[in-house]
Amino acid sequence: MLAKAVGRGTRLLESSPLGTRVAVLGPLGTSFPDPSPETLDLLVAGGVGLPPLFMQAERAARQGMVDNCEMLYGGRNAHDLLLLGEMHALGLRSHLATEDGSAGRRGRVTAELEARIDHHRGSNPGAKLRILACGPREMLWAVARIAEPLGIECYLSMEERMACGIGVCLGCAVPARSRPFRYMCSDGPVFLASDLVIPPAMDRTAEAAP
Amino acid sequence: MSDAPLNASTWEPHAALAVHCGGIDFCNPVLTASGTFGYGKEFEGLISLPALGGLVTKGISPQPRFGNPAPRICETASGMLNSIGLENVGVDGFAEHKLPFLRACGTKVLVNFFGTTFDDYVECGARLAQLEGVDGLEMNVSCPNIKAGGIEFGRDPRVLGDLVRACRKVIAKPLWVKLTPNTSDIVELARACAGNGADAVSIINTITGMAIDARTRRPKLATIFGGLSGPAIKPIALRMVCQVHRAGLGIPICGIGGIQDGTDAIEFMLAGANTVQVGTQNFIDPASAERIVREIDDFCRQNAISDVRELVGALKPEA
Repeated sequence: MLAKAVGRGTRLLESSPLGTRVAVLGPLGTSFPDPSPETLDLLVAGGVGLPPLFMQAERAARQGMVDNCEMLYGGRNAHDLLLLGEMHALGLRSHLATEDGSAGRRGRVTAELEARIDHHRGSNPGAKLRILACGPREMLWAVARIAEPLGIECYLSMEERMACGIGVCLGCAVPARSRPFRYMCSDGPVFLASDLVIPPAMDRTAEAAP
Repeated sequence: MSDAPLNASTWEPHAALAVHCGGIDFCNPVLTASGTFGYGKEFEGLISLPALGGLVTKGISPQPRFGNPAPRICETASGMLNSIGLENVGVDGFAEHKLPFLRACGTKVLVNFFGTTFDDYVECGARLAQLEGVDGLEMNVSCPNIKAGGIEFGRDPRVLGDLVRACRKVIAKPLWVKLTPNTSDIVELARACAGNGADAVSIINTITGMAIDARTRRPKLATIFGGLSGPAIKPIALRMVCQVHRAGLGIPICGIGGIQDGTDAIEFMLAGANTVQVGTQNFIDPASAERIVREIDDFCRQNAISDVRELVGALKPEA
């Protein structure tokens, strides 16, 4: 279990002494597709989005398919990046990106994704690529916008505030293509990007204005 | 989270918990509130449904509705705001896909329903009342009346009375009305229901509110305003239940608003509620309602109460 303290709930979790009993409802919802010998999976992790992709890599490694995936992992700086030793121990190929350049590529992980797609398409045009991504919402939309025109199957693990987690409160609605809304908790959290309504790239100058 | 689910077939309450409310016999006074319990099936395996007095479904409209844009919910001090937009599967979807499970679920089923026009309400209520497996209907009158400029049907006692009377004519099953607290006089609303043939009133629905993110200067809900629920509204709900009970209208009351445990439920009964509904608490712990039944029984045992009905309206007159 990996948690980042961002609000009251995660702070309570963080400050709980070892041995504290907590109630967990789960597992809930959908997960990433099984690792496959037929595909090369690009695991795109942004910040605290790493754990499900690390677990996916572990699954692949257990099934002898660690070479069918590679990790593209971005964070603010080198200090932000976790589990690097564990990834190395799995024999997982990893490509890092940090906003300040303190580890790996300087810039966003989506730039690394574009570079890796170019690389694989150039070196092995027949390979079937899949993208499995988890991270901040804007990163996921950017990943989807890269995957869609290239026709690459793309899975996004999303998050949203939810009251119940079991498809009852209908609070975690996300606009979808196959019907007006899908629900993070029960239809997700992992969605095929092709079923979601992907917003156009944000105009950053407009967003910066008050 | 609570202990292992009650085994309804073997658990024996200490006190007599059975109650009659609004034309329906319940094995205990604890129901689950509309919009917090889906269509029941979502809670299969998380709670023993026969251990509940009853459940109230998500609100059903004549046609399916897809609801409001996100964000639809946000947490507030001791509660939450929601603006789901009355999303539901519609009457046909309910009858075909949701009712078969409910028929066999072992608890009493009230179907919450609403419309956006007068005729919508009558049509929806009439069709639902004919379905086998529906024990009663709960009318949600906190919807905007499109023809009256979007004002809630349930805010005007005259409009509400007309609506209840029209629905009563076509509904042969128990008809409850869930009142809006967004009013200056809850008693007049309850009176309009009692005088036009309603079997019970559910008090209260959510209170209109809003939340703001100061940093971004944006409202926290896409629709700006939403409905406040949870413990934050309990004192208001208790006051309204008490007012309606004291008015002596002779109509049974189902108390709703921020019930988290057995003591909360008992407070509502003391104020005059014959039954209660557990709402937002279901989101925190899906087995809450079952625990609350057990806690009511514990309270009765500890306080030498042999029949839970002794509690109804048993509030002492002075503090």
